[in-house]
Amino acid sequence: MGESTVYANIAVYVVEGLLVFFIVYKIISARRGRQLFIRRIPGLSALDEAVGRATEMGRPMLFTPGLSGLSIIGLQAMAIMSHIVKRAAKYGTRVIVPTADPLLYTVAEEVAKDAYNAEGVPEQFNPEDIRYLSDNQFAWASGVVGTLHREKVATAFYFGYYAAESLILTENGQMVGAIQIAGTPTTTQIPFFLASCDYTIIGDEYYAASAYLSREPTLLGSLVGQDYGKLTMIALIIVGAIAVTLGALYPDWTVVHWMQSHFLKYFQRGVG
Amino acid sequence: MGQSLHHIWTWLAMPRHGLALAVFIIGALGIGALFLGILCSVPARFRKGIVMAVTFIGGLYLSLEFLVPYKNVHTGKYPLTEVMPTVANLEIVIGCFALLLGIWNLFQIHGKTLMKFGKDWYNSAIFFLTFFSIAILGFLRDKGVHGTPEMFSILFSGFLLSLQSTTFSLIAFYIVSAAYRAFRIRSAEAGFMMVAATIIMLALVPVGALLTAWLPETGFLSAFRLERIGYWILTSPNMAAQRAIAFGVAVGALATGLRIWLSLERGSFFDRQL
Repeated sequence: MGESTVYANIAVYVVEGLLVFFIVYKIISARRGRQLFIRRIPGLSALDEAVGRATEMGRPMLFTPGLSGLSIIGLQAMAIMSHIVKRAAKYGTRVIVPTADPLLYTVAEEVAKDAYNAEGVPEQFNPEDIRYLSDNQFAWASGVVGTLHREKVATAFYFGYYAAESLILTENGQMVGAIQIAGTPTTTQIPFFLASCDYTIIGDEYYAASAYLSREPTLLGSLVGQDYGKLTMIALIIVGAIAVTLGALYPDWTVVHWMQSHFLKYFQRGVG
Repeated sequence: MGQSLHHIWTWLAMPRHGLALAVFIIGALGIGALFLGILCSVPARFRKGIVMAVTFIGGLYLSLEFLVPYKNVHTGKYPLTEVMPTVANLEIVIGCFALLLGIWNLFQIHGKTLMKFGKDWYNSAIFFLTFFSIAILGFLRDKGVHGTPEMFSILFSGFLLSLQSTTFSLIAFYIVSAAYRAFRIRSAEAGFMMVAATIIMLALVPVGALLTAWLPETGFLSAFRLERIGYWILTSPNMAAQRAIAFGVAVGALATGLRIWLSLERGSFFDRQL
């Protein structure tokens, strides 16, 4: 052991150090009262509209964290679910949460219970609406599809990690006429959600959701810090592209040798 | 000190059978219940601190293991990495307890439906039937009871795997309906997507290559052959967009992880009065 494990190299120290610095610095400035701007994200703005639609129709809503476990993706899904359940509790609309991971199921139950308590309607919390179906991908998907049809859901939210079952869920959501909002960091499933959902939150917008919805200074600061992190990465990519291009055109230049031994070397997987 | 700890750990982790295993399981449950009792008796204002401390220590271990890999010069091993399987085992053990809660939830929902003969009660009956048959046959198969491996195989390969494959194959039909909706040209972006998708689809089938086969295979004009345009779309603009999304996701995950590790997450987990 140890020989096959990958450890951090100098590039990780520098890049991760910079990212952490920007995020923490922006969180601190936001907490000190600095006003921060974040652009409008249509998919997240539509969350309240979707809750309102289910309320008007008198039908339940469905929120699934996908196949997420107790990971960063799963916890972010829980943060979004908390917001949706709070809104639903305000209007007395039911939210059904089918989960595929037993650990996340227990967290989802607690988050939902807290959300109802926070809105002052603990009696609305029904433990049977937070369901553990199966940890088997397609057994879980079949269970969700069954729920979509049997409960005739008006609104379906898909936030979390998804794999091949994404299209099965959303196409069945279309069949029951549900308004559908999806958000996933899984790049392979984004096209399916784009094709079959009314709104799709892609990539890092998924992680921006809790900040966008709560407008909490700590989260807003973190979000702006992320943007600075992305700017750092863009700068590194540009420098890297220039270094590689110069390396191909003028391999004998001293500056090219220097960049290869002091910069490019550390950005190759498993080297350094 | 380090050696003594290592010996204690080796003794604790060695495989056990029979009575020793039962004693260890009961002992572990007793210690777990004791910790749970202590946690429940802690005043509410301190519980948040305990959760934050446990979260921080867990995150600190994983960070140190990756960022500061300490190598023991005498053994040539990485002590923090060596503990990793144990940490993974701890997660599995916690997951097993959570699985029991998940099964309890299923029993509650389906049991209630079955008792009341409520709507779609037969689905609940099928759940109990399949749950107990596969569980009992699984135990009997492990005990080596004659004929059970075959029966288990019928349930597992004959039913479960076939049902999984059937569900998976439904995607083929759903792709058509989703593609029809996505390719309706309602905006400039949708039109752009339609053109790109048509080129990709044509580039991946022989008839597509045939359409532009009259263009030369080398030189400037060869770049306009459908298979080349398709390849370029997949490997340049498409790959660039995917990588851009991946970078954004990685930074977002880092920021969320950092907030949870340092208990800075607000609104969902750490604002709660435990």
